Amino acid sequence: MARNKLDTNDPHILHLAKLVSGPNAILYKQEDLLAYDCDGFTIERHLPRAVVFPNNTEEVAKIVKFCSENKLPFLARGAGTGLSGGAVPLNNEIIISLVRMKRLLEVDFENRRAVVEPGYVNLKLTNSIADKGYYYAPDPSSQYACTIGGNVAENAGGAHCLKYGVTTNHILGLEVVLPNGDVMEISPNGIADFPGYDLLGLLTGSEGTLGIVTKITVRILKNPEAKQTVLAYFDRVQDGSQAVSNIISAGIVPAALEMMDKVAIEGVEAAAFPVGHPKDIAAVLLIEVDGIAAGIDEQIQLILDVCKKSHVREVKVAEDEAERARWWANRKTGFGAMGAISPDYLVQDGVIPRSKLPEVLERIHKISEESGLRIANIFHAGDGNLHPLVLFDSRVPGDTEKAIRAGSACLKACADAGGSITGEHGVGIEKKEEMRFVFNDDEIKAQTDIRDVFNPDRLLNAGKLFPTPSRCAEMKQELKRPEHAK
Amino acid sequence: MVTDELIAKISSTYPELEIENGLVSIHPLGNDGKVVVYPQTEEEIASVLRFANENQNSVVVMAGGSKRGCGGLEESAEILLSLEKYKGIVEHTLGDMTLTVKAGTPYKEIQNYIAGFNQKIPLDPYALEYATIGGVVSANDSGPKRLGYGSARDSVIGMRIVYPDGTVIRTGGKTVKNVAGYDFNKLFIGSMGTLGVITEITLKLRPLQKYESLVLVTFPDGNPEEIYSFSVTFLNTVMEPTALELLSPALSEKLTGHSCFTLAVCFEDVESAVRYQVEFIEKLKPDTSGFSVLHQESARAFWNLLTKIPPNGAVEYTGPETRASVKIGVKNLDVIKVMKESHLLQDRYNLDIEAHGGLGHGIARIYLNGASDDVMNAIGILRTFAEKLGGYAVLTHLPLVLRRQIDVWGPKPAYSFLFDGIKSKIDPKRILNPKRFVGGI
Repeated sequence: MARNKLDTNDPHILHLAKLVSGPNAILYKQEDLLAYDCDGFTIERHLPRAVVFPNNTEEVAKIVKFCSENKLPFLARGAGTGLSGGAVPLNNEIIISLVRMKRLLEVDFENRRAVVEPGYVNLKLTNSIADKGYYYAPDPSSQYACTIGGNVAENAGGAHCLKYGVTTNHILGLEVVLPNGDVMEISPNGIADFPGYDLLGLLTGSEGTLGIVTKITVRILKNPEAKQTVLAYFDRVQDGSQAVSNIISAGIVPAALEMMDKVAIEGVEAAAFPVGHPKDIAAVLLIEVDGIAAGIDEQIQLILDVCKKSHVREVKVAEDEAERARWWANRKTGFGAMGAISPDYLVQDGVIPRSKLPEVLERIHKISEESGLRIANIFHAGDGNLHPLVLFDSRVPGDTEKAIRAGSACLKACADAGGSITGEHGVGIEKKEEMRFVFNDDEIKAQTDIRDVFNPDRLLNAGKLFPTPSRCAEMKQELKRPEHAK
Repeated sequence: MVTDELIAKISSTYPELEIENGLVSIHPLGNDGKVVVYPQTEEEIASVLRFANENQNSVVVMAGGSKRGCGGLEESAEILLSLEKYKGIVEHTLGDMTLTVKAGTPYKEIQNYIAGFNQKIPLDPYALEYATIGGVVSANDSGPKRLGYGSARDSVIGMRIVYPDGTVIRTGGKTVKNVAGYDFNKLFIGSMGTLGVITEITLKLRPLQKYESLVLVTFPDGNPEEIYSFSVTFLNTVMEPTALELLSPALSEKLTGHSCFTLAVCFEDVESAVRYQVEFIEKLKPDTSGFSVLHQESARAFWNLLTKIPPNGAVEYTGPETRASVKIGVKNLDVIKVMKESHLLQDRYNLDIEAHGGLGHGIARIYLNGASDDVMNAIGILRTFAEKLGGYAVLTHLPLVLRRQIDVWGPKPAYSFLFDGIKSKIDPKRILNPKRFVGGI
């Protein structure tokens, strides 16, 4: 076995190095650790103690056991695309990187399931079964990079979860290393409803605070026979919102129903995948229906009719797969596209009952005016999941704090409208104080009680997901960006 | 006597609460209460639980009673908390397609109400005449259309739950997507009321299907390979059945008049798409198979009849036979083997066995009727059979005396200490539905 000579006397590092095989299986030098000081949430950065790269479940279990016995804080990390800071080593954690556990272990087409390791990239699964006409449904925008292990931790969503559900609806079984190093298999073979409390459901979306997933059985689906995509431009946001409600009320369950507002359109049109959206419209809707070909035309006609009744300026059906792909690339790269019109942006992730869309957008507009920052809105309109993108310039003193406050105000607006503070990005570090917008002390305690059943010593990913017990409302404003991040 | 004291104590503490003596006669399914309380508000539910918790009184929670025969080792708890009078629709937001209901609301009442708005809860549980939404969710009941729509965990988006100490917590919310905090809905779905009393449930609705057809493909030779090969071929097409349920010959005879293995395939979509799929499957079926189609009302009548087949704790049964219901979970297509095995057991043990199972979701239901020894022997064989396939067998309905002879949930998993840990955190005095669940929880 290749073994690199380690340039350290730290006994923990030396021991950890013995638990993992393969070249460069541990990082511990400051310059190597810099790449791991944050994830997709870049506002708060901390250096880990070390990063280890296990190759299999046994190695993960050994590392965890060692950390647990020596009271060393640790956490798991996938591709690091998470947007709420779930993989940031707040407590100088040992990061257990799962990127070397990236095998597709099994595909069982007949029973419609696949077994993957946690470091397996989301889109690779769909790509590797596409030739047989199958796919994996959850499709977060980062699917080309994010791992399925990370998707499980965050209960990731995506553009197509209106009809097909989020990650939790597609997870059939998990192998998990508990914070004490025990390995357990929940719902072996992906068989449904195994007797007992639904640990599968509890672990999915627990943001890496209950255990480390080392094997995942997912449901795979057959590609729909046909797909049609419609693009609709509106002069008023209210009309677009009304069209969304009317489409759903007409008894159609679109595969996706996405919306972008004027600022967002400006961004995507200035970025890498412009499709020629008119600059002066207030909202664009991207609507996709899929299913049996014989029934698609009828649904498309219904959607066209609904749009026309909702004062649409222009509505068109994608002529071919190429056009459809262009529209989707334009939408799916929407967050990054903000870089074309603003030096920095902060993505938020509120979710509201669909019918509250107009009033919440109005409030976000006010928040934008009051803060003096532009806010672009890209959202999964069908399921009420808003992504306000607060545009700011971190070089301007005070702008970052202003952006954080505006983001938080957007979440408050969502919570006040009967919604929630996160639909798919997770709470992580970013929104832990905002948890109080939606849960009271009893409800938070109920959750931390359950965390303590799994993670009694709180060594695994501590300080995430729940607000600090003694509320420190201004905590976020005190965050300092480390030197290298400026 | 103890009961009178208990009644006196509860009524003096909560004079408004409706309360009665429970032990008029002993119920063969157990899960009774020495006193029965009928709270009408969440505060009353919390009061009863707080009282029980302080006095260490055991509490059984029930509404329609259709699942009385599922789990539990006692004839009677101290208190039967009936949610029968805690019912009604709290909020139906048409445009959001969400619905909040009180737990004791009869399932059928809800479906009938929202059908008026062309919407539905996409779950097809059993005993529709008796089941309440709280019971369906607590027992995680699901039917054949789980293939198309998932189970309770896919439809429930929020709940209100009263903990044993009277604390009320909310889980989830009213949005169809939500990842704030742990996904606590999942913890309570299927927990058999052992963690808290669900008072309100918020569900994500679906539009009522515009058209529905049921295709019946019969397999007169009963050859499992033939059923397997047809199913695999069919599942590999782009057709979108919402149910693909294999019926045992005995059940098929009762429901369709054909005494042979029959696949019941449901399509729900716009009419043109449904008709296309019906034609498609007709061309695909083996030459030896029979083929018939039921549309709309007659298709619905078939599924409705199926929900009435299982033994149901709410219906008094005084016959000499023992009736049992088994839920088996295996890999999807292994359901064919389970169906074959249960069919064979019929003659080996002189039992009436009716069975069906979903080839797209892996859950099978087997209903046995006969002498108790035969029923128990057959259950033992079915459980071993399921376990050999990597699955499990749960006895969802069995008389109390037999439940004491067999673990209805099967062997504990290696990680059941986590179940105990969860239970101890939420219900440390273990007052709620004691011994009703996995591993004696």
